Amino acid sequence: MLGDLGAASLTAGLVSAVLAVLLWLRVALLGAASRPARLASAGALLAAAAACGLLEAALLAHDFSVRFVAENGGRHVPVYYTITSLWSAMDGSLLLWLLILCGFGALLARRRAPDRLRAYAMVVVSVVTTLFFALSAFAADPFQAVHPVPLDGPGPNPLLQQHPAMGVHPPLLYAGYLGMVVPFALALAAPLAGRAGRDWVRVARPWALAAWATLTAGVAVGAWWSYAVLGWGGYWAWDPVENASLLPWLTATAFLHTSLDGGRSRERWNTTLACGSFLLVLLGTFLTRSGAVASVHAFTESPLGPLLLGFVLLAVLAATVLTGRNRPAAPGAGRAPLLSRRTAVLVNAVLLVTVAAVVLIGTVLPLLTEPLTGARSSVGPGYYQRTAVPLAVVLLLLAGVTPALWVRDRATALRRLALPGIVGLATVAAIGLLSRPGPAVLTAFGAAAFVLTGLLTEVTARRRRPGRAWAAALAHAGLALVAVGVAGSAAYGQADERTVRVGETLRVADVSVRLVSVHRSLDEGRMVVRATTELSGNGTTRTATPALRYDPARDTAVTVPAISSGPRRDTYLTLIAVAEDGGSATLRLAVNPLVGLIWLGGALITVGGLTALAVTARSRRPRRSEPADRREPAGVPA
Amino acid sequence: MNGRRRLVTLTAAVLLALSVAGLARSVAPGPPSDPTQAVATELRCPACQGESVADSSSPIAVSMRQVITDQLAEGRSPAEIRRWFVQRYGDEVLAQPPLRGTALLLWVVPAVVLLGVGAAALRTLRPRHRPVQRRPSTTDAAPPGGRSARRAWWWAAGGLVALVSTVAVAAGQLARPVADAPAADPAVVAVQLAHDLEGQQRYAAAAEMYREALRDRPDDAIRLRLAFALLRAGDAAAAERTAREVLDHVPDSPDGLLVAGLAQRLTRPEEAPATLRRFLSVAPGHPAGPEVSRLLGS
Repeated sequence: MLGDLGAASLTAGLVSAVLAVLLWLRVALLGAASRPARLASAGALLAAAAACGLLEAALLAHDFSVRFVAENGGRHVPVYYTITSLWSAMDGSLLLWLLILCGFGALLARRRAPDRLRAYAMVVVSVVTTLFFALSAFAADPFQAVHPVPLDGPGPNPLLQQHPAMGVHPPLLYAGYLGMVVPFALALAAPLAGRAGRDWVRVARPWALAAWATLTAGVAVGAWWSYAVLGWGGYWAWDPVENASLLPWLTATAFLHTSLDGGRSRERWNTTLACGSFLLVLLGTFLTRSGAVASVHAFTESPLGPLLLGFVLLAVLAATVLTGRNRPAAPGAGRAPLLSRRTAVLVNAVLLVTVAAVVLIGTVLPLLTEPLTGARSSVGPGYYQRTAVPLAVVLLLLAGVTPALWVRDRATALRRLALPGIVGLATVAAIGLLSRPGPAVLTAFGAAAFVLTGLLTEVTARRRRPGRAWAAALAHAGLALVAVGVAGSAAYGQADERTVRVGETLRVADVSVRLVSVHRSLDEGRMVVRATTELSGNGTTRTATPALRYDPARDTAVTVPAISSGPRRDTYLTLIAVAEDGGSATLRLAVNPLVGLIWLGGALITVGGLTALAVTARSRRPRRSEPADRREPAGVPA
Repeated sequence: MNGRRRLVTLTAAVLLALSVAGLARSVAPGPPSDPTQAVATELRCPACQGESVADSSSPIAVSMRQVITDQLAEGRSPAEIRRWFVQRYGDEVLAQPPLRGTALLLWVVPAVVLLGVGAAALRTLRPRHRPVQRRPSTTDAAPPGGRSARRAWWWAAGGLVALVSTVAVAAGQLARPVADAPAADPAVVAVQLAHDLEGQQRYAAAAEMYREALRDRPDDAIRLRLAFALLRAGDAAAAERTAREVLDHVPDSPDGLLVAGLAQRLTRPEEAPATLRRFLSVAPGHPAGPEVSRLLGS
């Protein structure tokens, strides 16, 4: 019953999406009224919402006649993780994907009288929606009936029902990914929309900001989650799925910079980066959801690979054909001085695109190598540490130059950089002489000090456009904090792994852990082994109980680390194995300094993005009543 | 003012010198804190996806770490140990694929992108003088309405229908997911590793590895090797149990009879001769035959 309704809603969504394409095309090409088109877009949103709602209902009702529920539901799964299991596998997460995509479409279509730019952009968004509805309806229908109906299901992958972030991370990430569809659509629409298209960057920027801020939050929550769940004490493994989320973030960051000030002289850059961001979203989806590359996160393998690859190629083709024509660029302001915003923005873009290239080739290389040599190879963190990390340090240094870019004359600009420069050098000197963290870490510390001091002087000194300055300052400060956290935990982290008998002690730095007891229990069909330990450090002693959970339905064991976080450092205790007789256990004790700064920095970057969005929205509101022609800046000098 | 500037410059110079010293100190490698860990980070755990031997807690990674520790204790250098692993498991065991063939792309592609995008940035920042075309503002792509717009609409509608049908047809051709083989076959690697452990006469560890392999691939050949390893490790009861499992499938398996018989000599000596005689009658030409005859004779 639920299954039939769900299948019907998918069909309704497909039909609405097709209608939306045709009707929006009428609006754009023939100047027809937009009401039917908006209704069709709303219909697609409604259908996507209904499909999500029905699958949730089937999951909660344990209706195992529905294929997705039979494969991912389970009576033993708590309600919260039953709700989140909608996005624990490919076919269900495609529904969430559609819901968010249709939501963005409906938001873009909300105006009563859209101009041609928005109408064409809606055509693009609707085509994307159609493709994904078709994918869901024809190739990945989660509502297929199952015969005979099983009595129970295995539940979602145990790793996905261990941390509350499961309810936050995937939706945030999807919202960030799909937000990129709007700048992409606007970039494709711009050359078609004639005059209305010249201002596309101003229209696209708030969308890009919203998507970018959400994506940042999604990536940060994902890092925090993998830190808290995967049990190896790390937060970023340069795994293909992680890389796939980083790629669009990098190009979108570049876009946010090139689109500053309307981005008139950087038309090409804006178009390429806006298109590139969404293409990378599609490519990432293909890479990680088709099983093409091996990953710890490949929870959702499916046969959709060839179709997704088709979508990627189609999008590349459309983007090349539509934006590839040589449009006369708006004349730039001549040669840019070396120390200027125009130069800095482009250097930033060059570096970000290069980092993206590094990450992309590292991710897809195994895919290229395998058919040629037959051997599965992989690109480990070592490669990224030698390539992406130095580039990232240079980017951080570049962010520190920002305060000098708001002043006109060079002498003042250089004077502004004097204090941050001295603080940065002092940091390098002090840390470098006291410890040996390695050149990359040392430079990162120095660069972070340079950035943070510069921002302090900037926000205290500047009066003009304070909102935007604050937004940039928050984001850059967040970046610096992330750098300090990453560098500090990499350089000064300590860990030891040993098998200890009950009563014995494992020591790392000034932290020691004594194994008190090991006991097994059965908890909702899962075998749980807990090690009770006494953790002493900093003069205090407390109990920590890391655990190992074995899920027979999926035949997987999951470690549940015991983490105690402090402002200065985390202690991270993992139970790796226990002896049959319960007399000893293998423990891994890690002391991770400064890790908390990574999450704080991620939050700051997100807040920075949201602040910029709020500032843009506010500065825009009073102008909305002006006639369109007035807003057209004098692109051609008189 | 001038004095202050001099002071700033001087401070900067001193700090610069100090930080260069700090950097130089940092570049010179200190003694590695944990040599096993250092080698293990450079090896890829064959049973996991994308984790290094240092990070993984899987049994294979644990025993690979043990192998590294043992070899370091024997005085081998990290490079020799890496070579040892590559000889056994191929290049794929390295976290860092060697720089040849397609792996060169790892450096070529970013370099090309950096140069290309950098050149584009230079062009944007230092534009060559180009006559600015003044476009009359009426050159709107195609004005709304009109015959060509209608034709475009029909073409687009046809294209869309074709696109959706393509997806529908292609979707029908897709196979449902087949459980495909994981990266490097963990069972094969486990067997290989167990074999090496047996070579070092660490039979209990080898048995553990064979068990690991069996979990991935319940195969009688592996089961027999497990039984031999258990026997050599001194766990005759378990060895006999394992051999019995094989004999349940293949009642006349010579190796199964051999291990079972040898194990029984330790557990139930009265049954051993019968089993061993059956072994001799099933496989008269077995290399272990003469030795078994001698045992029976004595």
